[in-house]
Amino acid sequence: MYSTKYIKPNSTSEALEAIKSMGEGKFLAGGMTLIPTLKQRLASPDGLVDISGCDLDSISDEVDAIKIGAMTKHASVGESGLVKKAIPALAKLADGIGDRQVRNRGTLGGSVANNDPSACYPSAVLALKAIVHTNTRSIEADEFFTGMFETLLEENEIIEAISFSKPAKANYVKFPNPASRYAMVGVFVAQFNDGVRVAVTGAGEGGVFRHAEMEAALSSNYNADALSALEISSEGLISDLHASPEYRANLIKEMTKRAVV
Amino acid sequence: MEIKDSYELPLPKERVWAALNDEQFLKKSIPWCEKLERRSETELAAEVKLKIGPMSTRFTGNITLSDIDPPNGYTITGSGKGGIAGAASGSARVKLIEDKDTLSTTLSYEVSAQVKGKIAQLGSRLIQSTAKKLSKNFFGSFVKQLEDMDKS
Amino acid sequence: MNEVTKIDGIGSSVRRTEDKKFLTGKGRYTDDINRPGQVQAYFLRSDVAHAEIKSIDTKAAQSAPGVVGVFTGADIAVDKVGGPICGWVVPCRDGSSTKEPPHPLLAQGKVRFVGDAVAVVVAETMEQAKSAAELIDVDYNELTPVVDFVNADKGAQIHEEVPNNCYFDWELGDEGATNKAIERAAKVVKLSVRNNRLVPNAMEPRSALAEYDSLDESYTLHTTSQNPHLTRLVLAAFMFAIPESKLRVIAPDVGGGFGSKIYVYIEEAVCVWASKKIGRPVKWTADRTQAFLTDCHGRDHVNDVQLALDENNKIIGLRVDTVCNLGAYLSAFSVVVPTILHGTLLSGQYDIPAIYTNVKGMATNTVNVDAYRGAGRPEATYLLERTMETAAKEVGMDPAEFRRINFIPKDAFPYQTQVALQYDIGDYEPHLDKAMEMIDYSNFEKRRAEAAKRGMYRGIGMSSYIEACGLAPSAVVGALGGRVGQWESASVRVNPTGTISVFTGSHSHGQGHATTFAQIVADKLGIPMENVEVIHGDTDKTPFGMGSYGSRSLASGGSAISKAVDKIINKSKKIAAHLLEASEDDIDFKDGKFVVGGTDKEKAFGEIALAAYVPHNYPLETLEPGLEENAFYDPTNFVFPSGTHIAEVEIDPATGVVEVVDWAACDDFGNLVNPMIVEGQVHGGIAQGIGQALLEDAHYDENGQLLTASYMDYCMPRADDLPSFKVGYTNTPCTHNDLGVKGCGEAGAIASPPALINAVIDALSPLGVTDMSMPATPQKVWKAIQESQSVAAE
Repeated sequence: MYSTKYIKPNSTSEALEAIKSMGEGKFLAGGMTLIPTLKQRLASPDGLVDISGCDLDSISDEVDAIKIGAMTKHASVGESGLVKKAIPALAKLADGIGDRQVRNRGTLGGSVANNDPSACYPSAVLALKAIVHTNTRSIEADEFFTGMFETLLEENEIIEAISFSKPAKANYVKFPNPASRYAMVGVFVAQFNDGVRVAVTGAGEGGVFRHAEMEAALSSNYNADALSALEISSEGLISDLHASPEYRANLIKEMTKRAVV
Repeated sequence: MEIKDSYELPLPKERVWAALNDEQFLKKSIPWCEKLERRSETELAAEVKLKIGPMSTRFTGNITLSDIDPPNGYTITGSGKGGIAGAASGSARVKLIEDKDTLSTTLSYEVSAQVKGKIAQLGSRLIQSTAKKLSKNFFGSFVKQLEDMDKS
Repeated sequence: MNEVTKIDGIGSSVRRTEDKKFLTGKGRYTDDINRPGQVQAYFLRSDVAHAEIKSIDTKAAQSAPGVVGVFTGADIAVDKVGGPICGWVVPCRDGSSTKEPPHPLLAQGKVRFVGDAVAVVVAETMEQAKSAAELIDVDYNELTPVVDFVNADKGAQIHEEVPNNCYFDWELGDEGATNKAIERAAKVVKLSVRNNRLVPNAMEPRSALAEYDSLDESYTLHTTSQNPHLTRLVLAAFMFAIPESKLRVIAPDVGGGFGSKIYVYIEEAVCVWASKKIGRPVKWTADRTQAFLTDCHGRDHVNDVQLALDENNKIIGLRVDTVCNLGAYLSAFSVVVPTILHGTLLSGQYDIPAIYTNVKGMATNTVNVDAYRGAGRPEATYLLERTMETAAKEVGMDPAEFRRINFIPKDAFPYQTQVALQYDIGDYEPHLDKAMEMIDYSNFEKRRAEAAKRGMYRGIGMSSYIEACGLAPSAVVGALGGRVGQWESASVRVNPTGTISVFTGSHSHGQGHATTFAQIVADKLGIPMENVEVIHGDTDKTPFGMGSYGSRSLASGGSAISKAVDKIINKSKKIAAHLLEASEDDIDFKDGKFVVGGTDKEKAFGEIALAAYVPHNYPLETLEPGLEENAFYDPTNFVFPSGTHIAEVEIDPATGVVEVVDWAACDDFGNLVNPMIVEGQVHGGIAQGIGQALLEDAHYDENGQLLTASYMDYCMPRADDLPSFKVGYTNTPCTHNDLGVKGCGEAGAIASPPALINAVIDALSPLGVTDMSMPATPQKVWKAIQESQSVAAE
């Protein structure tokens, strides 16, 4: 990697100051994407602001929601009794990201801010009507993700925590890419009193998205059979070496069926 | 890999064609374009800072216009070197078809893209989606500029 | 004296003595070694597949921080350093020989694959070298790349010396007799198969550290090699034209090879050259991307097969037409792999009266293709065993029975095949029977029906393979075009206290030689294994040897050790006879003791050793002091392991996922020295075979860009892709080596891909699917199911 400045502040306000002092700085969360990119010399930021010391890794119960600090590691979410009890599907998702090493370093906020089209977490954010709390505002999940690797986050805006609404029922089922084990298709289904939300990751060219037809079908009948007659369009789905849009469309339906139990 | 799309513009063909040959228009359309200078009738020098997720690389290269058939279309090809990241090129065959009755023009394009080096080796899963996104950004903002101009 | 010591001899599953250091991270690999004043080399590589180099401007790089030197092909040319050589060539059908274009250390005028080295930057640190390399400006005139090897003859010419991009067009067998058999056959089974291209992926990437000593004008090279002596020979004699004595090659701990570390690569040679040029030790270590781009890949064949059967379903002829991809330059053994190691295996375990094969080796703008675990034999076994299964289904026979009626009968050995080999011994029905029993073959249909109730397609497939390994004898190898000997060496030094140092020409890079070889010596001398140390991998310490590849180490290297130990025993008997005042003929050697027959007079092995080095009471007039013997062993034939593997799979039609649910492997490796290590080899081989059959595929796009150059896209087998293997053995000891052993290192990778693909096709057969190419990825299997359903609907 190119040599770069490294700063580790103790609060988000210090972190913001630090990044403003750099021409083009980068926040460093778990670094599971950023560090490999830097090692490959595919980015050369003027500095890294490591926000792991900013006290952003608590998990709390907020009655209708579980609020998880942005720097909470996947392993902590997977192991959290609070999460397991209130939203077991979220714990399951966290426990299935990458491998043990990645889960011990990678963070919720890092994953969500990066919005990799194949990442698991964005689907939970979208399906669980999450609120993304940043240093300046709270953003609803439906507004937050704006495209592949793109979010509503401004330059120098830090995710501090994410509140996930507690669903009546939820499940996450992923079909991993055989090579990378990222989601080739991941479906998060969440049932709320006012309807069902289905968020799909790994499949859309624009990143994570909600699937309106499946949501409608499941809202009227929360049963895998309710999906049988649906034709899933392959329009806008990712095409790569491992899966054509048609195959991904098939997997979306299949994974959703398996998620509805 | 082939990418196709089309837009309908409430403008006569000549107007769209003129914009397709106006470097100010092109510069504003090319995503993250930092520099665009005309070198000749058919060649422009370009510098683009491309950001895909955590990757951020400056590409320098050329934009060339070929198969020029005024005012019906041309092929616009951009190719650039991104240093250690490798190189990328994309070629769009642009066609303009006018509807005489409504005086509107359909702009259709067909893109083929190629990447070389590290971006091909490490980013193969993203090549198709990225090419599609960049084409959409380019033609989308080109069309939007034309529409905005038309409105004002 | 001592209590009876337990000897961990031949046949004992001793834990690997080398594992303590490896499992605790204490291995010492090339990149772990650092020399004072060392600098780092970084290679600037082409990111285009085929181009003329118009110019290279290194000026800015030369003056970049930390840079010690920047060199290009022009600098190498001035010093007249040769490139890597081809170690084996074959004759062509038209009477010409294999075309051998030069392979320059750094590109001369042209680049021929993505990854071809254009320049080398040597700097104080690797990061400085990389930064400087970014400042080098290479102006290319791009040429049309040749990627599709089947049509490479129609592509742009890659080398002046290679017309139609065809390195060789070779044949073996009797074409007339084979074509006649096909004409008169009651049935001809036709099949086209592709053997997918694989990346070796040794855990340790390649590395080299070269140092020049200006006082005695000699070099020391630490490198990731499977055969340091061959590396020394090629570098000294063919590339640098210096005496071998002026180059010491050390291959310390090496983290896996699978064939990819047999050859001398350009990076090693450039480091050696630069170490003198610069006057400082030069180190280079590949990162994973460079490993993907520049390690020789494996396989990449297409084969058209015609199998002729008579009215009783007996095979009467086999014709195989093969085109294979050898890549941009001819690597050391790239020619022998798809020819001699492939064509000669086409008889398999079967009595086939007429065989003919033609192989065309093509040049393409992809990295070189060479040996990868099995090397030629997996390709031969794949096409043959896929064809056997297809034929059985087409004639309506059980695949096991169809094989059985075509097996070479056990009383027919030694058996001369129609493709040059003579199998010394084998007995094929027992391993077929045992494998079927292990997997409960007779109840398979019940399991299929049970799976169907769960909506799953269950299938079973087998593969009865033969392997020819431990290439030999040297004279035959030479007659077949080999430019190397195929013997192995050993030096056994008995130290004065009776401990043993074994110096072997074999090289261990994961095989566990330190354990297996020590067991042989311990067993033969009746001493504890801890008293035996095995030394390998250093040309200054070990006798000239051929290294490890082709499952040769135990059969050739182990046999050489055994022969050297025999010489030790013979000499020890003479010393014992003197000490015991008896006739040499009356001395028996048993359990580590030399005993005068019929008496209680004896000397322990340690006493003999001491007497040899402190020869106060010693027959010096007739016997030299000391106790150290060498042996060079040139086997009289290949060894021929064989076996049957049976795979059972379940396929989820909704996703196309193939789950390997059961696996039975029954192999005949002759005598086993360490059954635990053998089982490990079988497991590893099957895992790699499952990788090839279900997961791995090196994919170049039409421009010659490798799109699977990282683990994001290149799919390696993981533990959870594999079932628990059932492993069993039969034993027909090899007739021509002292230990009665055959090779076991490659068998799993050879046997498993066809068994697995046969099982996949069997599972999908109710849908009318009759073919499936490797790798059978979920998407491909799902698509085949969709297509079969849409055909059914029409």
